[in-house]
Amino acid sequence: MQCREVRDLFDSYLAQELLTETNHEILRHLSGCPTCRADFAERRALREALQRAFARARDLEPRSEFSAELGVKLRDIAQAPQRPGLFSHWLALAATLVVGLGLAGTWWWANRLIRDRDLAAVAVGDHRNCALHFTLAEKPISLAEAAQHYDAAYRILEEVPPAEILTSSGTARVLERHSCVYAGRRFAHVVLQYHEKVVSLLVTKGEDGASTSLPLDAALHGDVRRIDDMSVLSFRSARHSIFLTGDVDRAELSSLAEVLAGPLTRRLSSSQTHSSPPAFATAYPRLTTVMSNDSQNGINLTFPGPFWRRASNALGAKCPEAARRLPRPIAAPAG
Amino acid sequence: MTKKEAPVDEHAWASFEAEALPHADQLFRVAMWFERNRQEAEDLVQDTMTQALQSFHRFQRGTNCRAWLMTILQHIRSNRRRSRFRSPVIDDPNDRIAETIPFVPPLPERLTDEDILGALARIPPHLQEVIVMCDVEEFSYKEIARTLAIPIGTVMSRLHRGRALLRQQLRTPADRRQKEI
Repeated sequence: MQCREVRDLFDSYLAQELLTETNHEILRHLSGCPTCRADFAERRALREALQRAFARARDLEPRSEFSAELGVKLRDIAQAPQRPGLFSHWLALAATLVVGLGLAGTWWWANRLIRDRDLAAVAVGDHRNCALHFTLAEKPISLAEAAQHYDAAYRILEEVPPAEILTSSGTARVLERHSCVYAGRRFAHVVLQYHEKVVSLLVTKGEDGASTSLPLDAALHGDVRRIDDMSVLSFRSARHSIFLTGDVDRAELSSLAEVLAGPLTRRLSSSQTHSSPPAFATAYPRLTTVMSNDSQNGINLTFPGPFWRRASNALGAKCPEAARRLPRPIAAPAG
Repeated sequence: MTKKEAPVDEHAWASFEAEALPHADQLFRVAMWFERNRQEAEDLVQDTMTQALQSFHRFQRGTNCRAWLMTILQHIRSNRRRSRFRSPVIDDPNDRIAETIPFVPPLPERLTDEDILGALARIPPHLQEVIVMCDVEEFSYKEIARTLAIPIGTVMSRLHRGRALLRQQLRTPADRRQKEI
C-alpha cells in the first residue's frame, strides 16, 4: 500500500470498518513508515480529543428530564387512536379467510419455506453488511462471549472449520471468527477467503427449536440459490441453521459445503451439553486497548481493542492456526 | 408537528423505543452544537424523533440507527434553513480561506476541551458538520454522504480542509497562553 492509500483509510480504520486483511496491511505499512505513523497518531489524538470534549461539554448536555418528556410525547403519538379505513376492513376479511384456510396441511410447509427464504436473506444481509462493508450497528463479539451469553454451540466455530480448508476446487482460508447480529438475528460468523472472494459461514439457532433449512443431503445436491447477487446454500443440524454465502458460483460453493458440512453438523448436533468458555477469552471482553512493549526496539505500541479481542479469542481456543494469524507488533526502526 | 401523524402499532413502538429512543441524548448534543439554542435544539430533536417514529418501517434493521436519525435531523435542519433564507448559501467565503491554507501545523500537545471546541466553532459550519459526523459520531464516509446529501469525494475534501483549518485554529490558544506567561 502507498502512503496516500493508507492515509485515505485512516478514518475507516479508526472506526473499525475495514476487513481484517486491510487492517493488517495498514499496520504493516505503519510499521515501516514513520511519517504515516506520526500522521496517524495525530489523527487519532484529534478524534479522541473531539469525542472527549463533546461528551464532557456541559453546554451540550440535554436537560435531565428531556429524554423522559420526549419518550412520553412519542408514546402518545404512537398510541393515537387508529380509525380503520376501507382498506383495513378488506384486510380483516382477508385475514379471516387465511385463518380459515390455514387448517390445510400445506400451510405448514409454505410457512416453513418462507421462513427459510427470509432467514437466508438475513444471512446474505449479514454477509454483505458485516464481512464486506462492516456497517453493522452492533459491533461483533467473540465466539467465546457469544457462547457464554447466547448459545454454547457457537464455541464450536472457534475450531471448526480449521484455518485452511482443502476442497475439490481450491483452498479456503479463515480470515475471521466472531459473532454478530443482523436484522435482530445473532449468528456465529466465520469469514473465509475462497477463490479470491470473501465467503461467509453463518450459523444461527433454528426458530422455536426447529430448523428452517434443508436436510444436509438435500442441500448438498444442488440447492444453491441466488439472493441479492450472492450464492447461498443452507443446511441444518439438529438445532441450527447453517448458511454458506458469497459472490462465488454455485459449483464452487457446493464443493466448499461438501467439505464443511459433515464435520460441522456432527459437532453442532452433539452440542447439547456444554462447559463454561475458556477463562482467558472471557477475562478481556471489555478491554478496549492494550499496550504492547517491544523491549528490543524500546518502543511502546498501542493495538486497537478488536485486534486484541480477536487475538485473545484465538489463543483462548488454543488454536495454533489462528494464533499464527495475529498481527505482528509495529516495530519502529531503532533510532 | 408539520407532518400528518400516522398510527404506530405496539410492536413498532417497542422496536422504536429500544433502537431509536436511546440515541435522543446524543442527537441533542449534535443539534445543540449546530443550533446554539437549547429550545431550538429540543424542537429539532423532537421533530426528528417524531418523523423517525412515523417512518420507522422504512428503517433497515441491522444498519446504523443513529446515522439514520441523523439523516432525518439534517433533512429537517436544511428545510428550516431554506424556509428562513429565500435562497440557499451556495458559496461560503470561509471555504475559500480554507482552500488556501499555507501549511498544516502540528497538533499542540496539551489541549483542553475549551480549546478544541473553541477551535471547532471558528471553522466554517459545513466543515464542522463533516468533522462532527466523522470524528465524534464515527459515521462512515458513505453514511456522512447520505446524511448531508453530498458526494463521498466532497466529504473527503471537506474533512481534509476542515482538519487543516482546525489545526490552524488550535495553534492559536497555545500561542496566546505562551504570550500570557
